[in-house]
Amino acid sequence: MKALIDAQNISKIYGEDSNRTVALDGLNLRINKGEFVAIIGPSGSGKSTLMHILGCLDRPTSGKYFLEGKLVSNLGENELARIRNEQIGFVFQAFNLLPRTKSIKNVELPLIYSKVKQGERETRARLMLEAVGLSDKLNSLPSQLSGGQMQRVAIARALVNKPLVIFADEPTGNLDSKASQEIIEIFKKLNREGRTIVMITHEKEVAGKAKRIIAIRDGKIVSDRRVK
Amino acid sequence: MDILETIKLALEAIKINKLRSILTALGIIIGVASIVLLISIGTGLSNYVSGEFAKLGANSIFVLPGRVQVGPQGGPPRSINKITFDIAERLDREKGPYITEISPLIQLSVTAGYKGQSKVTTLAGTKSTYFASSGIMAAEGRVYSDRDDTASRKVVVIGKTLAADLFKNDTPVGKTILLSKKPFSVIGVLAPQGNAGGVDIDNQVLMPLSTARKLTGANQVNSILVRTVSTKEMALAKAQVEKVLKRTLTEDDFTILTQEQLLSSILSILSVLTMALGGIAAISLVVGGVGISNIMLVSVTERTREIGLRKAVGARPRDILGQFLVEAVILSVFGGVIGITIGFLGSLALSNFLKTAVPLWAVLLGIGFSSTVGIIFGVAPAIRASRLEPIVALKHE
Ligand SMILES: Nc1ncnc2c1ncn2[C@@H]1O[C@H](COP(=O)(O)OP(=O)(O)OP(=O)(O)O)[C@@H](O)[C@H]1O
Ligand SMILES: [Mg+2]
Repeated sequence: MKALIDAQNISKIYGEDSNRTVALDGLNLRINKGEFVAIIGPSGSGKSTLMHILGCLDRPTSGKYFLEGKLVSNLGENELARIRNEQIGFVFQAFNLLPRTKSIKNVELPLIYSKVKQGERETRARLMLEAVGLSDKLNSLPSQLSGGQMQRVAIARALVNKPLVIFADEPTGNLDSKASQEIIEIFKKLNREGRTIVMITHEKEVAGKAKRIIAIRDGKIVSDRRVK
Repeated sequence: MDILETIKLALEAIKINKLRSILTALGIIIGVASIVLLISIGTGLSNYVSGEFAKLGANSIFVLPGRVQVGPQGGPPRSINKITFDIAERLDREKGPYITEISPLIQLSVTAGYKGQSKVTTLAGTKSTYFASSGIMAAEGRVYSDRDDTASRKVVVIGKTLAADLFKNDTPVGKTILLSKKPFSVIGVLAPQGNAGGVDIDNQVLMPLSTARKLTGANQVNSILVRTVSTKEMALAKAQVEKVLKRTLTEDDFTILTQEQLLSSILSILSVLTMALGGIAAISLVVGGVGISNIMLVSVTERTREIGLRKAVGARPRDILGQFLVEAVILSVFGGVIGITIGFLGSLALSNFLKTAVPLWAVLLGIGFSSTVGIIFGVAPAIRASRLEPIVALKHE
C-alpha cells in the first residue's frame, strides 16, 4: 500500500558556519492513511521543523517528500499554498485565531481561499463547529472563549476543507488537563472516523492516546512503536 | 480568489480594525478636503475679481502715469506724473470715432470733518458722467451734474460709511462738511457698495472734477478712464489714445491698460495663488499618505501572525497582496469621498463671504491624488506582507 506521507532522507539546516543548526538529519518517515501518530522528543529536537515540512509550510534543505505519492518537496509557493489549503489542516499550540473575528468566520477562512461561495462556507463552518461541540458559540469572538473552546474552533477550521491529514503542534500545550482531555477525545473520535492525525506533544499522558508514538532526538527518529 | 471576494475580505478587515481604518482614512480626508477647499477659495477670489471688473464695464481703457507693469513681476511706477489736465483735455477733443467718453480722475486722501467729528477718507474728483457709467446711484439726495462741474460748485456726494461716521443719526444731505478745512455742502449719500479686498469703498467722498482740481491745485490727474463704443473697437481706441499721448509724452510716461489686460493679469496672479494653495493642500495629502503607509506598515507587523495563518490555510502571496491593496484603495476612496464632501461643505459655508465654487478639476484632482496616494502607500506594505514566509509570520511574536 502506498503511504499517505513518505518522507525520504529529509534534512533541514538553518544558518551558516558558526550559526549552522541541523534541525533534521536525514530523517525517514512513512505514515499511512488513518493513522494517529504522536511525535515526542525533547525541546529543540526538531519536532516542529518536521511538522512544518510535512505540512508544506516549509521546504527541506535536502531529501524528498511525497504526499499521497506526489513529490511536493520542490513545488513552488503557489502550489504549496494550494496543498495546504486542500489537503492539510493545522492546529497550533497558540490557537492562532483571527482576533476580533467570530468563530464561524475563523472556521470559514480556508474555504475563502478555495473559492467556496459564501453560503456554502457558512453551512460547512457551522457543521464543523457543531461537530466540535460549539453550536452555541458560532458568533462568539475569540476573546469571549476559553482556551479549550478556542482550540476547538481551531480544530473545526483545520477540518473544514476535508484535509487528508491534520497536523497538530502541541495542541494541548496551553490548556489545563480537563480541556486537554476534551481535545484529545475530539482527535480520537476524528481518527475513529478515518482521519489521519499527526500530533506533537510533550506530555506522556497525551501521547499515550495515539496509536503510534515516534520519538525524535537531534533531528533523527530514535524510536517508533505502536501502542497495543 | 476573485476580486469580489477580495473586496469582501478587505471590507471585513477594515470593519474589524476600526481605529486603524479611521486613522488611515483621516490622512486622506484632511488632504482632499484641504485641496477642494483651498481651490474653491482660489476660484472664489477669481470670480469675485472678474465680477468687480465686469461692473466697470468691459469696454474700458485705463491710462495711468508712468510705466506700470501688471503681473507677477510688476512694481510701482518710477517716473513722475506727466499726465496733466491739458493732456486729458486734448484727448477729449481728439477722441475720434471709437471713444465715447474721457474721464480723468483725481484721487487723494483727505480728512473730513463735521461738528467736531473727523475721519480720514478717500477723495475722488470725477466727471458727472462717472455715476451713470459706473452704475452708482444716490441713496439720499442727488449726485452732482455737469453744471455743478462746469461751475466748480463746492458740492460733494459721500459714501454710506463716511455718512454714518460723521453724521451719526443726523441727515447728511444739506449739511456742510470740511475737507482739508474747506467747507463743502453734501448733496447726496451713495447707495452702499460694500467691501473690496478689505477696503471699505463706502468710505469715500466724491466731488466734481473741476472742484477737486481747485481744491488740490494739482495739475496732474491720477488716471484717465476711457470708454469705447464697444468691446470690438478696443484696439482702435487704444491706438487713438496712444497716438494723442505720444505727441507730448514718451513711452515711459504713461501706461495704457485695457480692461482685459488688467483682468487677465490679475487673474493670472490669482491662478498662481490658487496653484500655491493647491500645492499646500497637496503637501498635506502627501503627509497624509506617509501616515497611511506608516499605519499600513505597523499593521503588517501587527498582523504578521494573521498573514502567517492565512498563508498556512492556503492564501497565496497574490491573495495577501490583493487584500492589502484593496484595503488601501477602499480607505483612500472612502477618505477621498468624505474629504470632497467636507471640502464642498466648507466651500458652501464660506460662500456667505466669498462666491466660492468647486471646479470639477479640483474634485478630479482630489480623487486622483487620494487614490494614487492610497495605492502607492498601500503597495509597499502589501508587497512586504505578501512575501513573508508563512513559518516566519506564524512564529512572529
Ligand atoms: N528559523 C530558525 N532559524 C534557526 N534555527 C532554527 C529555526 N527554527 C528552528 N531552529 C532550530 O532548529 C532546532 C529544532 O527546532 P524545533 O522548533 O523543530 O524544535 P522542537 O522539537 O519543536 O522544540 P520544542 O519542543 O521546544 O517546540 C532547534 O535547535 C532550533 O533552535
Ligand atoms: Mg516545537
